[in-house]
Amino acid sequence: MLIENMIMAFHAIKANKMRSFLTMLGIIIGIGSVISIVSIGDTMRGLFSDLYKDVGITQAYISIGYWLDDIRQSDYFTLDDLERIKEVFGDEIAYIDADSATSSDVQAGRIKMKFNFSGIDYNYIDVQPVDIIYGRYLNKGDILGRRKNVVIKVESAEQLFGTENAVGKTFRTTIYGYTDEYTVVGVYKKEMNAFQALMMGGRSDTGSAYIPYTILTWPNDLNYYCHLFAAEGTDMNDFMSRLLTYIAKLKGRNASDYYTQTAVEQMGSVDGVMGALSSAVGGIAAISLLVGGIGIMNIMLVSVTERTREIGIRKALGAKTRDVLIQFLTESAILSASGGIIGVALAVSLVTVGGMALGLPVIIKPMVILLAVSFSAVVGIFFGIYPASKAAKADPIDALRYE
Amino acid sequence: MFGRNKLSPYVTENLSEDLIRLENLVKIYDTGAIKVLGLKKINLTIQRGEFVAIMGHSGSGKSTLMNILGCLDRPTLGHYYLDGIDTASLSSNELSAVRNLKIGFVFQSFNLISRTSALKNVELPMTYARISKRKRSERAMELLECVGLGKRAYHMPNELSGGQRQRVAIARALANEPPLILADEPTGNLDTAASIEIMEIFSELHKAGATVVVVTHEENIAAFTHRIIRFSDGQIVSDERNPNPTPGSGDVHTKGLYKNRATGAQRGQSKELEQAKDAGKGDNVC
Repeated sequence: MLIENMIMAFHAIKANKMRSFLTMLGIIIGIGSVISIVSIGDTMRGLFSDLYKDVGITQAYISIGYWLDDIRQSDYFTLDDLERIKEVFGDEIAYIDADSATSSDVQAGRIKMKFNFSGIDYNYIDVQPVDIIYGRYLNKGDILGRRKNVVIKVESAEQLFGTENAVGKTFRTTIYGYTDEYTVVGVYKKEMNAFQALMMGGRSDTGSAYIPYTILTWPNDLNYYCHLFAAEGTDMNDFMSRLLTYIAKLKGRNASDYYTQTAVEQMGSVDGVMGALSSAVGGIAAISLLVGGIGIMNIMLVSVTERTREIGIRKALGAKTRDVLIQFLTESAILSASGGIIGVALAVSLVTVGGMALGLPVIIKPMVILLAVSFSAVVGIFFGIYPASKAAKADPIDALRYE
Repeated sequence: MFGRNKLSPYVTENLSEDLIRLENLVKIYDTGAIKVLGLKKINLTIQRGEFVAIMGHSGSGKSTLMNILGCLDRPTLGHYYLDGIDTASLSSNELSAVRNLKIGFVFQSFNLISRTSALKNVELPMTYARISKRKRSERAMELLECVGLGKRAYHMPNELSGGQRQRVAIARALANEPPLILADEPTGNLDTAASIEIMEIFSELHKAGATVVVVTHEENIAAFTHRIIRFSDGQIVSDERNPNPTPGSGDVHTKGLYKNRATGAQRGQSKELEQAKDAGKGDNVC
């Protein structure tokens, strides 16, 4: 009987192709926009989580609270402090430094440009992988000997020296008032992920280079940040609370006096914002579904009136109230669900094409599609109830007389 | 003996000879301002296997009677027993079931469902009787072949002539083998040749044991029947036997169209109907 009803419904929908399509349009647009928006939201969240994976999910910064009035010199981190922290926490800490960085003008031959120098330890490559395409990374000797060696980004090498392979070339720069000659020992390349590429667009005019952190932390060994990567798979909440307790003890402060930033926290808040945003916009799009539903109700009412005579015939031939009700409910559900399916197809192709154009990996959850199509069927049934019950309650004599 | 099972009265077996019994039937149309007396205390009995014409001018009450006989409408007062069932006590869904299994309708304007093939139209009453798809399309095809439209089974109503449409409607009316065939001005929209053809089919059905009630205002149509009841002003004015019904030309073949119901017990419910149909294949009269 159900299949019978569905076949009947398809015939009825086919009989008025244009009208059926226009009716579906509301649902098509509604479902299409809901799926597009949710998929765009999911894609953005995916990009952010990729970004944070790239940044290092276990990355954390600790600094003395900026809100304190009585910040003393002893509140800053010294290299000894970092050494002690590393000793105490051992393998739990994959990498630690003082996040020392500076920017300065460099000159090689006639070319001058600005460079950002990041002070790093020799094993920074373990937590922030880069491809060394020429030469080598900074080694233990460079760090301990405070050698004036740098590893520069391939684009910067190109800009400064006009060649990618800048190994052995030198430039002059002034760091903390000391002007010296620095030697390029390696050239690295870092693939940007889709999100970075999207945000940065093209290339930056400022050069980037890694420099031994010992150059930047000497002679003023007072660092604002303790910057670290915990070992992979560490429970960051537990780790951070133990770390803060230790640091507070070391510095004679309360744990609550320290300000911390972890990638996990940030990711959580970005995720939250994105989630809220996409559900808000999705909610607005869902209103168009409501409008589509009202359109279906309207056209079903027209259809019921047009087919009053048919309803009368069916009743005379023995159709019960329920038979007529189900017939019209099936019709409106199929009308709406067909709109839903077309809307899904439209949204999926739109989002996929858009993703391909921007070079982004698109995330479309099958669950969302399933939900959207079932929701559109529910909309059809809900808005079909009134017209269908009107049809079902029709008096057979009046219906048969209807011209 | 009847009405014990109120929910499915059409299951009860009935051996009564009276297929239709009207007792003091009154129908009042209440239009608010005025009350119109549609039928005034009608008493009428039609026995199983009769071929009856109900005649009268428009406004005579014959259409009102037709609606009540067809269980499309309920009397205001009095009783209508159809096959022993007091229809006054039935709910609208129960009336649907009664119409489905006890009555076959043939209308003046054919009332086929448009954009639906002849075959599907004939299947419809069986669909509502919950008969399996295979069985009902078999039976529908058989019925269409009986009325000479086997080759037109997949035609839409608008591709058929008036006479052909009415033959599809007759096939549809017979789908569930109802004991009563009710025809409301069945020839009103047909030319003379087609009218005669349709009336000959009714004659054959009557011979096969069906009870046929035809509402008409044409004397030559009523002449085919065996009993003519005349209506005027909501009352029966005459009820006479027709000693010389117009004989059929013999050209109409209705083999298998109607199975003899006069002898057997009533087979009401669709399941029983199916079983009975399977068992009684050899029961055909024509």
